[in-house]
Amino acid sequence: MSSQTLPEAFRLRAGNFNLLVLRLLDPRPEAVLPALGDQFRRAPGFLRFAPIVIGLDDLEVAPEAMDFRGLVQGLRALEIVPIGTTGGTQAMKQAAQHAGLPPLRPVGGKEAETDLPVPAPAAEAPPPAPQPVAAAPVAPEFQGSGRAAMLVTEPVRSGQRIYAQGADLIVTATVNPGAEVIADGNVHVYGALRGRAVAGAADDATARIFALNFDPELVAIAGFYAVREGLGDAPIGRAVQVRLEGEEMRFAPLG
Amino acid sequence: MAQVIVVTSGKGGVGKTTTSAAFATGLAQRGKKTVVIDFDVGLRNLDLIMGVERRVVFDIVNVIQGEARLNQALIRDKRVDTLAILPASQTRDKDALTREGVSTIIEELSADFDYILCDSPAGIEKGALLALYFADQAIVVTNPEVSSVRDSDRILGVLQSKSKRAEEKRDKVKEHLLVTRYDPNRVERGEMLKLEDVREILAIPLLGVVPENESVLKASNTGTPVIMDTESVAGQAYKDAVGRFLGEDLPHRFLEPEKKPGLFKRLFGGRAA
Repeated sequence: MSSQTLPEAFRLRAGNFNLLVLRLLDPRPEAVLPALGDQFRRAPGFLRFAPIVIGLDDLEVAPEAMDFRGLVQGLRALEIVPIGTTGGTQAMKQAAQHAGLPPLRPVGGKEAETDLPVPAPAAEAPPPAPQPVAAAPVAPEFQGSGRAAMLVTEPVRSGQRIYAQGADLIVTATVNPGAEVIADGNVHVYGALRGRAVAGAADDATARIFALNFDPELVAIAGFYAVREGLGDAPIGRAVQVRLEGEEMRFAPLG
Repeated sequence: MAQVIVVTSGKGGVGKTTTSAAFATGLAQRGKKTVVIDFDVGLRNLDLIMGVERRVVFDIVNVIQGEARLNQALIRDKRVDTLAILPASQTRDKDALTREGVSTIIEELSADFDYILCDSPAGIEKGALLALYFADQAIVVTNPEVSSVRDSDRILGVLQSKSKRAEEKRDKVKEHLLVTRYDPNRVERGEMLKLEDVREILAIPLLGVVPENESVLKASNTGTPVIMDTESVAGQAYKDAVGRFLGEDLPHRFLEPEKKPGLFKRLFGGRAA
């Protein structure tokens, strides 16, 4: 059978992803989940459907004592998607794997114990979650930021505050006056940006802000900010990208 | 099970109580068993607008504190027999309201009524949070003015995070936008926000637009819900909004400035648009 005549159905590529790690300090789901739930109530929308890796390094219990299934169910109920584990003893990893959490290897990190290849979990794989490939077997074609992104599809309303920690933030609705969107990476607003936008919150001066309709109360990158009054020359109401050049904020029309 | 509807806005003075009174009356006129609760403890107004202030014996705080039974505090409307009012207390403060107490009242009312309207106080403090906590639907009352729109936006965010439905991760509260005190002439002169601007920011379905109208003040002062003034444009706009709420497909009216009646209007009367 000649492969040239068939349309390509898929391509395999390596990808690096920046993921949040939930380091378990307490093995009991009943202790971890309410605390997490509490934190998310204070920042609604934060981490919604975010893929998360469970860090096992700080656990000092027997693997049999860990209720991974309960933990996974609890996290899903909080709309957090656990996709694997990092660290931990071999036995602990295996226990997690039985609950559908494969071990991930951090980029550049070498595993303390060299693992024998563990058979992939068969039928009980978790429902489709983005599968990160931790180490790139081939050289990547271009150098990305390596950041994950958080997606928000509902309008961000006055008084709401969304923080994409360690990630880019993509908002496909409007950011209303009195709302605040913050990302450690870039902020993209595919709607009107009428509230505040903060990019590079973890001091990344290369982060940028993009907005389809640029009409903000304040923009900030890596601690440098401009309030609306200082945006006299910026192309208000147009598609704009904001970046930092030295200590100067630059506003350029897009498209 | 009754539907619980909160009438809310964030900002004060935009027409929440006028809307609660008109809407409750409109639903009751359609034969729905309706009760409207005043949550503005300390600044009781709903009873005045409904014209029942002289019949208030007990109020919601008395019921919550076990000093009166719910049936003793409910005031049956004399004009529409499917309508009842549960007044607020004028002498207590908002701390007298408890979530458990309100929950019990709403549960008890659910057995007897189709719709429970909660007239929220302004702000986003305890009273307002309690008024929206049990809501299945929300009517967000907004004036075409920036501060009102921003406060409504804020309250929509609160509905998404602090209502019982949000906490239990059930279907979210169904939101309706009601723009009140809309003056097409002032919109045309650029003194008021356009309807499209309000809709764009709040991004929720539009239930109705009630024009700025003298009849509203007159109705308040005489204790007659404005929806009963069928001649007035505000009354008609509320009637339309109630119809839409019940699933009717009605065009929005009163959005354009009044023009000098042309030939068409002189021939067919002024009520065509």
